[in-house]
Amino acid sequence: MSAPAAPGPAVSVPPALEVRRLTASYSTRPVLWDVDAKVPAGALAAIVGPNGAGKSTLLKAVVGLLKVDAGHILVEGRPAATALDRIAFVPQRDEVDWDFPITVREVVEMGRYRSAGWLRRLRPVDREAVDLAIERVGMTPYSRRQIGELSGGQRQRVFIARALAQESPVMLLDEPFAGVDARTEAALLDMLAEFRDEGRTVVVVHHDIGTVRARFDWAVLLNVRTIACGPVAEALSDDSLRRAYGGLTGGEGVEDPTWIG
Amino acid sequence: MDRLIDLIPLDYTESVVLIGAVILGVAAGVLGAFAVLRQRSLVGDALSHATLPGVCVAFIATGAKDAPTLALGAAAAGLIGAGLILAIERTGRIRPDAAIGVVLASFFSLGIVLLTFLANYNNANQAGLDTYLFGQAAGLLEGDLEIMGALCLASLALVAIFFRPLKAGLFDMSFAGSMGLPVRLLELAMTAMLVIAIVIGVRTVGAILMVAMLVVPTVTARQLTSRLSTLLVIAGATGAAVGSVGALISNSSNLPTGPVIVVVGFLVALTAIAFAPGRGVAWRARKILRERRRAANEGVLIDLETALHAGAPPTVDELVLTSGRSASGVNRALRDLDRAGALERDGDRIHLSEQGAAAVHALLRKRDLWSVWLEHGWRLELPDAREPDPRNLRHTLGDENTERLLAFAAAGGDARPEGEGRAGEGGDDE
Repeated sequence: MSAPAAPGPAVSVPPALEVRRLTASYSTRPVLWDVDAKVPAGALAAIVGPNGAGKSTLLKAVVGLLKVDAGHILVEGRPAATALDRIAFVPQRDEVDWDFPITVREVVEMGRYRSAGWLRRLRPVDREAVDLAIERVGMTPYSRRQIGELSGGQRQRVFIARALAQESPVMLLDEPFAGVDARTEAALLDMLAEFRDEGRTVVVVHHDIGTVRARFDWAVLLNVRTIACGPVAEALSDDSLRRAYGGLTGGEGVEDPTWIG
Repeated sequence: MDRLIDLIPLDYTESVVLIGAVILGVAAGVLGAFAVLRQRSLVGDALSHATLPGVCVAFIATGAKDAPTLALGAAAAGLIGAGLILAIERTGRIRPDAAIGVVLASFFSLGIVLLTFLANYNNANQAGLDTYLFGQAAGLLEGDLEIMGALCLASLALVAIFFRPLKAGLFDMSFAGSMGLPVRLLELAMTAMLVIAIVIGVRTVGAILMVAMLVVPTVTARQLTSRLSTLLVIAGATGAAVGSVGALISNSSNLPTGPVIVVVGFLVALTAIAFAPGRGVAWRARKILRERRRAANEGVLIDLETALHAGAPPTVDELVLTSGRSASGVNRALRDLDRAGALERDGDRIHLSEQGAAAVHALLRKRDLWSVWLEHGWRLELPDAREPDPRNLRHTLGDENTERLLAFAAAGGDARPEGEGRAGEGGDDE
C-alpha cells in the first residue's frame, strides 16, 4: 500500500445530475422520450424548451414524483432514488394552497424534517439552519407571517429558503420566476448564482432564453427529446433553438431566433 | 367510563349522549381538518354517504344490530368508496369532483335500496337502521362510548406522532415526495383517518349530514388561527362544543340529532366567518371602507390644492365640478377634512388651513417619492425581501434606503453605471 500521492491524478467528479435514455409518460402519451442529459457539478444550469416539452416532468422524475417507463437517473453517480438526500427540490408555487395555516418559518422548517428525523423535534442545529436560510433570502422580518400575506416574489423566496435549509448539494427549481416581477427575478438570479459559487449545482426550469444566455453556464434544451445539452453558447445555438421550437418565431421566450444576448 | 358518567351532573342517558358527542366532535374536528385543508371536504361527504350500504350489508350478513358490527360495515364501505374515488380519478381521467359525485350518489342509492329491501322483507328486526340517515343521539350505549373513545384516542395519538410528515404532505405533497416520504401512504393514511372520524360520528349525526361535522370545525378554527397545530386544537374543541350542544338539544327536544347539530355548527361557523378578528368579513369590510375613505379624502385634498393653485378658492359646487367626483363623495370627504382641521371656510369658499397645507405637501412628497422609486428604484439594493408600498414608500423602504434613493435621483436622471446596470437586467432593455 503506497501512501496517497499528494496531488494524485484528478479523480473525475461524476455529473451532479445525469439522465440516461429516460422515457416517462402521462397515460399513454410520452412526455419524455429517450432523453439523455447531463449537468456537471457546480453548474448553474437551465432546462429550456417550449410548453409541454417535459421540463417540469424531468424534474419530477428526478425527485421520484413520477414513475418513469424506462431509463436511469443518476445523482452524483448514484441512482436518484437512493440519493434523494442530495437533492433539494423547489416545486412550482401554484401547486400549494397559500391560504394554508402555516407561517414562513414553519415552511422553512420543513426543509429540516428529514435530517432531524421525521418524528423528532428540531434540534438547535436545525433551528440555526432555518434562521440562516430565512436570513439569506431576506425574509427574516417576515418569518412569523402567514404565507398568504406574502407577494409572489416573497413566496418564491420562502420556497428557496426551505430548499436551502435542506443543505443539499443539488438544487432543482421548477419555474421559480413564473409570475415574479423583474426586480425580484434579478435578485433571485443573483441568489442562485451565489449558491453556484458556493459549490452547489443549481438546475432551473426556465423559459426565457435571454436570461439563460446572460446568466447561466449550462443548458439542457428539451422538446420531448433532448435537442441539445452543454455549455449555454453551444446548447442554445440558433440551429438547436430552431429544432426545439420548430422554427416558429414568437415561441415562448424566443421573439427572434437570431437574438443574441 | 362509569366514573366519568357519574361525574357529569346530568341523568344517565344525557351523560352518555354528552360524552359520545364530545368524542365524535373531537374526532371529526381534528381528523376532518386533514380533508378540508387538502381541499377534499367533499370526499368526506361522499364517504359519509357511502357508509350506509356498509351498515345494511353488515346487518344482512350477521343479523346483528350492535354498534361495533355496523361500524365495521360502515368502515369497510367507506374505504371501498375512497378507493373507488381514487380509481375513477386515476384510470378514467375523470375530474375529482365528478368521481366524488359518482361514488356519493351510487353508494347512497345502494344504501337506500337495501334499507327499503330490509324494511319490506325482514319484518321489524331492522327497525333502527334508518337512524343512520339523520342520526340519533339517544341510541348511544355505554359500550359504544368505549369503542368510540378508543378509536378517537388512537387516531389522535397517530396524528401527534406523525404530525410533521402529515403537515408536510398536507401543505405540499410534491415537496414531501421529493424528501422521500411515501406520498401514496400519506394520502391513504389521511383518507383512513377521515373514515375513522366518519365511523365514530355517523350513527349520531347521520350519513347525510356528517360532512358538516367534518368541515365546520376547521372552517371555524381557520378563522381564528394561522398555525396548523393550533388549528387542530381549536377544531377539536369546536367539534366537541358543537356536537355536545346539538346532541343535548336534540335529546331533550325530540328533534333529529344530525340536523340540530348541523344547525348549531352552522351558527358557529357563520359567526366565525363574519366576526373573526383579522379574517372575519366584518373586520375586512371595515378595513376596506376605511381605506377607501382615506383615498377619497386624499383625492379631494389634492383636488382642492389644484383648484387653489389655479385661481380663487372654490366653492363646494365648483370643487365637485372640477374634481369629477360625486357631490356626496366630495361632501363626505370635506366633512372628514373639516374634522381633521385641514380646511378653512370663507363664506362658502374653501381654503386649506395651515395643517391642511402641510398634509397636501406631505401627500405630494409621497407621490413624488413613488415616481422616483419607479425611475431609480432598480439601482437601490435592498437588504431583504421588503417590497414597496405606494401609499407609504418611506415606511416600507426605511429612512436610510429612502435617502439613498433620493440621492440617486439628485445625482441625475441617467446615471446608469458605465457599461451595464445590474447584470440580471442586461437583456431586455438594450
